[in-house]
Amino acid sequence: MLQSKSFVKKTRHGKVLKVVREHYLRDDIACGTISCTVCDNSKACLSSSSGQIIVFDTNVALHQIGLLENAAVSNVVVLSLVLEEVKNKNIGVYNRLRTICSNPSRNFFVFSNENHRETYIKGLAGESPNDRNDRAIRVASKWYHAHLGPTSKIVLVTDDAENRRRALAEGIVALSVHEYVQTLGNAELLDLIIRTGSEEAQTTGDAEDLRPSKRKVIYPEHKLMSEITSGLHKGIYHQGKLRVNRYNGFEATVSSESIGEEILIQGRMDMNRAFDGDVVAVELLPEDQWQANSLGKIAEDADEDDNEEAVGLVPDVAEAVTDTVAAGRAGRPRGRVIGIIKRNWRQYCGSLDPMLNSGGAGGFVHALFSAADRRIPRIRIQTRQFANLVNKRIIVAVDAWDRTMRYPAGHYVSTIGDIGDRDTESEVILLENDVNNKPFSKQVLDCLPPLPWSLAAEELQNPNRRDLRHIRVFSVDPPGCRDIDDALHCTLRPDGNYEVGVHIADVTNFVLPDTPLDEEASKRGTSVYLVERRIDMLPKPLTEDICSLRADVERLTFSVIWEMTPEAEILSTQFTKAIIKSCAAMSYAEAQARMDDSRLSDPLTVDLRNMNRLAKIMRKRRIDRGALTLASPEVKFEIDSETHDPLDVGMYQIREANQMIEEFMLAANVSVAEKIFGHFSQFSMLRRHPVPTPKMLEPLLLTAAAVAVDLDISSSKALADSLDRAVGGDPYFNKLIRILATRCMTQALYFSSGDLPPPEFHHYGLASPIYTHFTSPIRRYADVVVHRLLAAALGLIKLPAGLRDKALLTTVADNLNYRHRNAQMASRASVELHTLIFFKNRPTDTEARIVRIKSNGLIVFVPKFGIEGPVYLTGKKDTKDESDWIVDEQSQTTVSRDGKYRYKVLDKLVIHIEVVEPQPNRPKLQLTLVEQPNA
Amino acid sequence: MNANEYRTPGEVLGWASEYVAGGGTYVWNQKVCASVVGIARITPAAATAEDQKPTIEVIREKERGPVPEPGTVVTAKITKLMPRQAAAAIVCVGPKAVREKFTGIIRQQDVRATEIDKVDMPTSFRPGDIVRAEVISLGDSRAYYLSTAKNELGVVSATSDAGAAMVPVSWQEMQCPITGQREPRKVAKVV
Amino acid sequence: MDFISPEGLRLDGRRPLELRQLQAEIGVVEKADGSATFEMGNTKVIAVVYGPREVQSRSQQQHDQALVRCEYSMASFSTGDRRRRGKGDRRATELSLVIRQTMEAAILTNLLPRSQIDIFVQVLQADGGTRACCINAATLALADAGIPMRDIVASCAAGYLNSTPILDLNYLEDSGGGPDLTVALFPKLDKVSLLQMDSKIPLDVFEKVMNLASEGAKAVAQFIREKLMENTKQLVLAKGR
Repeated sequence: MLQSKSFVKKTRHGKVLKVVREHYLRDDIACGTISCTVCDNSKACLSSSSGQIIVFDTNVALHQIGLLENAAVSNVVVLSLVLEEVKNKNIGVYNRLRTICSNPSRNFFVFSNENHRETYIKGLAGESPNDRNDRAIRVASKWYHAHLGPTSKIVLVTDDAENRRRALAEGIVALSVHEYVQTLGNAELLDLIIRTGSEEAQTTGDAEDLRPSKRKVIYPEHKLMSEITSGLHKGIYHQGKLRVNRYNGFEATVSSESIGEEILIQGRMDMNRAFDGDVVAVELLPEDQWQANSLGKIAEDADEDDNEEAVGLVPDVAEAVTDTVAAGRAGRPRGRVIGIIKRNWRQYCGSLDPMLNSGGAGGFVHALFSAADRRIPRIRIQTRQFANLVNKRIIVAVDAWDRTMRYPAGHYVSTIGDIGDRDTESEVILLENDVNNKPFSKQVLDCLPPLPWSLAAEELQNPNRRDLRHIRVFSVDPPGCRDIDDALHCTLRPDGNYEVGVHIADVTNFVLPDTPLDEEASKRGTSVYLVERRIDMLPKPLTEDICSLRADVERLTFSVIWEMTPEAEILSTQFTKAIIKSCAAMSYAEAQARMDDSRLSDPLTVDLRNMNRLAKIMRKRRIDRGALTLASPEVKFEIDSETHDPLDVGMYQIREANQMIEEFMLAANVSVAEKIFGHFSQFSMLRRHPVPTPKMLEPLLLTAAAVAVDLDISSSKALADSLDRAVGGDPYFNKLIRILATRCMTQALYFSSGDLPPPEFHHYGLASPIYTHFTSPIRRYADVVVHRLLAAALGLIKLPAGLRDKALLTTVADNLNYRHRNAQMASRASVELHTLIFFKNRPTDTEARIVRIKSNGLIVFVPKFGIEGPVYLTGKKDTKDESDWIVDEQSQTTVSRDGKYRYKVLDKLVIHIEVVEPQPNRPKLQLTLVEQPNA
Repeated sequence: MNANEYRTPGEVLGWASEYVAGGGTYVWNQKVCASVVGIARITPAAATAEDQKPTIEVIREKERGPVPEPGTVVTAKITKLMPRQAAAAIVCVGPKAVREKFTGIIRQQDVRATEIDKVDMPTSFRPGDIVRAEVISLGDSRAYYLSTAKNELGVVSATSDAGAAMVPVSWQEMQCPITGQREPRKVAKVV
Repeated sequence: MDFISPEGLRLDGRRPLELRQLQAEIGVVEKADGSATFEMGNTKVIAVVYGPREVQSRSQQQHDQALVRCEYSMASFSTGDRRRRGKGDRRATELSLVIRQTMEAAILTNLLPRSQIDIFVQVLQADGGTRACCINAATLALADAGIPMRDIVASCAAGYLNSTPILDLNYLEDSGGGPDLTVALFPKLDKVSLLQMDSKIPLDVFEKVMNLASEGAKAVAQFIREKLMENTKQLVLAKGR
């Protein structure tokens, strides 16, 4: 029992409260140097003999975190005071600093100076907190010097000249960041330094006169935080997250709760230096400036020529809702940003804009950086290595955006690779979507069972594991699938009923809770499928071997077994851990071929047919209940096995066999959801699909009304029925309407059942009151959680502590939603990338359908390739001249002034697709009109 | 077990087979334990006792204030005079001052030993008089019964109308040293 | 929120298994039969005992044992925001009951039939762990009043934050949302007289936290004994013997 020797009360003044907290000072805090004989050096990592020990102040941490992350910086004392200050100012930097500190190879030691008896200081009368902290840092540096003896070399790194002066006066070696980096003797590191304030003027000298007094003010001032708060309180200002239009970097919306609808922000000035994702305060503009032109243009702001709409894949679900809605209404409130409440800056991937005058080699140049994410404005950076970087994909961090700066200032962080290189571009996709692509760490791999794995004898003895090896189990998956996580069986029972089993890989048998493996999987959340590769959630031995339910090997499963009548009524449900031996791993096509081939009548084929019959009944019942049959234009690339270049592209074919498997997976998921919710009403991991709001369905209704289709959106059942009735002139019409409908849907979400009342559990798309994910534990972490919940519900295991914590489960669910969304975005981006590569040497003419009318063009959808993009009717540059085309919003038609051309939404037209390079190394798809129909 | 040590409640003092549990102790699981804070004392058994075990007790150092008990002599101040009795506040029990308030009542028949039916309260006491009295019983729930029916009991100090401390002149009278006026009292005989 | 830094220090600089600074004073109210203040860090409680004395209302008198009564209240100045906290609210009623039951178990009530013992406990300054602090103060006051007790009662709280069992939570840690477990025990008899916790924790974690709280309570008991001895010695000195 250690008692503190002495203590000091620390008083902190809040608004009105005087908070008194105890603050214990100790003398058992180690200095962290390996050679120290006085302190407990079990955790020591600093070497006092091999050169200097670095101490830095808060501003260095806040501004130069990128530098600190560089491996060249080591042997550093991180003061707890600095950590605390960083945490209060920027939690992101704090986390990064903590990551460095926890990395044993970096030799960063955290010294709790505020709790050390000899380094704690009290603020003096009249001393500002900043001065006090600076002094504390100096005292700590001095203490180290005294503690380690006169031979030690302690260096205080700070950019505060006054602090340096005082340190020198007290006999401490103090350097500025720039001076310090120079001592390291690595020129590349100098690029990592972020220039702030006075340092900038000294080091860049006359490269460009950047002194504030001479700069022109470009942007309106941000209001003071106090003004914003009072304004928000009075209702003059509105707070919300800024969402930049995917298609137009200078149009954004802020959904404010106080006003109840989205506020449109247009143009650079009104956005006033806000980034996508920033929480901003917005002031409404007078009503006469509200947007009258409800359609919006495809791209505006002619001076920003790279911001026109890009051709891309069709959005899956309603994540593009903001801009689709944006098109729908007249007189939407417009506003302008008057302050930024919380920045959402992160590191951005992209490339430097080429410059004519690239300056002398090795000298500093100012370059403009364009992020891969079009919603991000260009960023101005300084670099010494422009020539090296111009053809590379690089990562850049944003530092500041002053009123006087047209573009935000940033700095170079690292290089990914060459532009245009597929691996580099894939890397960019992964980085931009926060997908962890790093190989699994040794700790994670250590959790795997030894290979080659085979069924252990004790598993057979396990009374909780049923031996189902004698049953004819098979799997059906996409061709080439190696991570098979589901298998099925269907046998006719003597009483005429069927026993149907869904066998899911027993991943939780190998991924035990609270192991590094489990933590890693939980962080990754899902496997990510790119066109040419897959980023696994679990290490390969598990996904492709131990857990994969391949044919003719014994595998462990978690099974759901139903007894069903021939009318597909479920009589009973059993859940059990089991051992299976799959007799066949088929592809969808193979399974379909077997079912269709009337000559075959082997037991497996009979099973398949029986199953298919049951599935059809179940499917019909589900649709009658109101489940939506939605469509998404999934495309499939044929990839050259050697070059990994796409050879062909086409729509993904959906067969009966796919639907059959899907049906049983849905049924298994529903059964499991009911079971776990029955046992754990407060912390079941479920999946819900919220009902789309009428506002979200507005664009669909508008389009449907224009083509005289009547859609009833009162319920999912009504919508499903009316979608069935929507048959147009050609076979693709119905599918197109379904695609548009899919786009208006909300995203399905994971959640913890304790967070919502049961009516909210509803899954709209499947018309199921409760749903979860159980069937793909190899590639989704949610399923792993559900497996554990189910096992606990059956009494097979004790529920791991992490799942018993409601708050923790909520964070897990939030992370899964985030990862899931990112994985989808990454897949789409990958498909987009490959589409680009595909069309590079293949300019193509193809049929397209109009999905939206804009004032200066059309948005078309190309069914064959699943891409969507703009076709300009007017010349791109003269956007002012819109008079050639008359747009009728009600009927979604645009007619040329001379009446020669007339386009209506959902019309067919022929377009030309080709890859153009308006700037070197910036290839993009361009769609142009070829044919002029209904002339 | 060492005697003369400071003990706190719960501390084991010895086996019940070896000691008799005295004051401030209790027996639990055949052990004698302290129940109050104080100094442990061991008293050898009296020679006459049949059980020859020594007694162990814990004596508190902090004493409670004195409490009047029947038979003790107390000092009280007359607070109220009624036709048949006088109320008094007890201030001392024997030589010790009390720590809390105790009220006493001197009934008419307890004022003096003789001619008890002829006692006139106003000629015996006046409010403010300090009397010495003996506790004769615990009385009712409100007050102890006091008695001054002995020669050495009665008023020991009284103040005259003029404000001076009077001196006793007989067992029935006291005189003011300033005015020379005599006042009737049941005066205590100075021992 | 991080309640324990990776360096293993809590917000106030303690390590997870450390108590706050303990302080106690005996005999702070002259008039009472027994009184004491007890401080655990910034939590400060005064306890005053009257009795054994006559039972005030006859109907409550018990012929075979003493009547123990307890009144808990929180001074309105005990927290930063001045709020009226009477003795009537639910929390106070519950705490009064808890303290009464805990102390009743310690007092040898059968030795004092037909009498009444009143315990008044007031929180002068609150910074988490008031429950434990009240019990400790009450023990000291009872010992001061010389009321015979089986054993002293010592109490301590423990919690579970950031997957670590931590001892003697202060207010900040108390409001961290983790479990808050208060244990009161008879250290010499090694018996638990109070165990309270109002959240759910897994059984294995519970055991750890419970053991920690017991260890804490024993340390508190040691402190209480030392204080009592010291007080007795001073009384002896005052008497001049």
